[in-house]
Amino acid sequence: MEILFILGITVILALGAVFINNGRALGIVNFLGHLVIAAFSLRIVSFVIAAKQAVSLFNFFYIDALSGIFILTISVLNIAASLYSIDYMNKDLTEGVITAKKFKTYYILFNLFAFSMFFVTVVDNLGMIWVAIEATTLTSAFLVGFHNNKSSVEAAWKYIIICSVGITLALFGTILFYYTASAQGGIRSLNWTEMVLVASKLDPRIIKTAFLFILVGYGTKAGIVPMHTWLPDAHSQALSPISALLSGVLLKTAIYAILRFTVIVNKCVGASYAGNLLIFFGLLSLVVSAGFILVQKDLKRLLAYSSIEHIGIICVGLGIGGAIGFYGALLHVFNHAVTKSAMFFGAGNIVKKYKTNNMNMIRGVIKTLPFTGIVVIIATFALAGSPPFSIFISEIIILVSAFTKGAYITAAILLLSIAVIFAGIIHHISRMVFGRRPENMALSHESAGGKTAFLFLLVFICALGFRIPHLLNGLLVSAVEILKGV
Amino acid sequence: MQLLLTGVLFMAFVMVISKRVSALIHGFRAQSFFLFLTALYIAMLNNNAEIYIVAGLLFAIKVVAIPYILSRIVRRIKVEEGAGLFINPTLSVFIAVLLTYLSYLFTGRVMPDAGRSQSAAVIISLSVTLIGLFLMMSRMKAVSQIIGLLVMENGLFLIAMASAGGMPFFVEIAVFFDIFVCVVILGMFVYRINKLFTHINVSKLQELKG
Repeated sequence: MEILFILGITVILALGAVFINNGRALGIVNFLGHLVIAAFSLRIVSFVIAAKQAVSLFNFFYIDALSGIFILTISVLNIAASLYSIDYMNKDLTEGVITAKKFKTYYILFNLFAFSMFFVTVVDNLGMIWVAIEATTLTSAFLVGFHNNKSSVEAAWKYIIICSVGITLALFGTILFYYTASAQGGIRSLNWTEMVLVASKLDPRIIKTAFLFILVGYGTKAGIVPMHTWLPDAHSQALSPISALLSGVLLKTAIYAILRFTVIVNKCVGASYAGNLLIFFGLLSLVVSAGFILVQKDLKRLLAYSSIEHIGIICVGLGIGGAIGFYGALLHVFNHAVTKSAMFFGAGNIVKKYKTNNMNMIRGVIKTLPFTGIVVIIATFALAGSPPFSIFISEIIILVSAFTKGAYITAAILLLSIAVIFAGIIHHISRMVFGRRPENMALSHESAGGKTAFLFLLVFICALGFRIPHLLNGLLVSAVEILKGV
Repeated sequence: MQLLLTGVLFMAFVMVISKRVSALIHGFRAQSFFLFLTALYIAMLNNNAEIYIVAGLLFAIKVVAIPYILSRIVRRIKVEEGAGLFINPTLSVFIAVLLTYLSYLFTGRVMPDAGRSQSAAVIISLSVTLIGLFLMMSRMKAVSQIIGLLVMENGLFLIAMASAGGMPFFVEIAVFFDIFVCVVILGMFVYRINKLFTHINVSKLQELKG
């Protein structure tokens, strides 16, 4: 039943945005709504772990530990983004940057976007997952093109066109899966639960071809190189809370779709086929993004390329597989989401203050926005993978899995790229945060809502570096079991 | 059946050589109409109520609504007639033939056990999908890119019909809905692009780099 509440509340919040006229009140209602959603997600996730079985409803919804991780990540990020949005959007409204109508549109689309992302993770049917992922593109397109100027409209256009073509290929892959499921498997259904049962009977030739289409198709949405070209544009042009959601969870929902197919593929043709493909594309993403990070001038594009890097790390972890590899990769999904959104919130504050994305023009953030400056420095080190923060832990786990499986070359490329990116990111951000403050920039007041959002995320960034909570650990362990196909 | 499928493929070739945006839209409408007849034929063959509904939706959305929206855009923004060809028609036809041959090879390799008429249907639908992709890449006007995307979807619809007797009913409905919303949203962005850039030549959208 919780599933219906989670989906229902997002719809109610979207409707609520039509009727509430006060800007601040709308923001707060939205935030409270997402708190309730998070409570329901926690409830459903703890039920899945305690009962050690999946929740299924109407033969349509299906939630197991694997979806649980993604639901949890989405709801945590929604809390942070809605909290941050209160002041961020209200400032734009009171300063007259956006009209009251656009302000409402933002909250309507925000919740429809949340709805579509939750929907991806809770449906059983692989065809419906496709529909839901296309819906995430459609609902977020206007959030990317929100400012309606040349560059944001260009970004939105490329975003829809590239992602739609990609996802069309994924539909072809899905149809091939359906074809072999009905021809060889003897079922006329696209339900994941039923397809897994007949996986070993399916035609390996078709499955292999179909998985290529799935990987390229959903990989476009996940931002895997070389299908990533839409990503830096969209991330840099979207509003900062939305950039955080795009990078933190939208990319991960596409990874989730790939994982569902991977389970079927692994049962049919063995784990090495999908694994090697994932490692190849993961390493490619890492190496390419490292190059772009080094020469980057635009703050938000820098963060976008860093998302490509982390998607690469996740793919490598999933590709290496085994208990340790899957565990590390799934943990990395959550860690990257919270860390990257802290960075995007920080970038949002900085861009608003300095009115430019160009990192060469931004200096002395620590003096003009002290709180943001400190958080950005902490989050930068966390993002780059230094101890004692959470990303360090998941990266180490993935490295360990590579070494224990004897994948030394993979581990070497992984380590080298992470080292290069570490240097690049720290260099860019520290020059921006420290350094001489421009003459005309005064110290400015930072809003309480924004600060709370930062603190909320910092708790996860720091705490998960020391200890993984019991609930999350249980969730990860059962999800690993699903991925291993036990 | 074979005749209808030939019609679908023929319209894809017609679109490859059409130079004007309005001709592309007519081509798309005709192709969707052949697709509708195919779906209707399959529905009558199996006497299946769900496929009848799917065929009805196909007619309403792809033959009536979407071409109407697209031609309205073309009229409203008075786009100059050229579709923004990147590659000349002769070469385009050659490439389209090559893509059809590729689909023939692909189908032979991946589905060797499929029956004669079934594999013919898969070959045709795969070629239509690839030609749609080619249309998107070879044309520079925003509207022609939307049509390319739709042609790809047409091909996929046919693959699903031909290879597995259509996707599960509610998935098919949801896919239609998605496509329709997608076209509406893309249409709104075409207006915006036209207003901001005073053209809809997407190869000239080059603000964002690096």
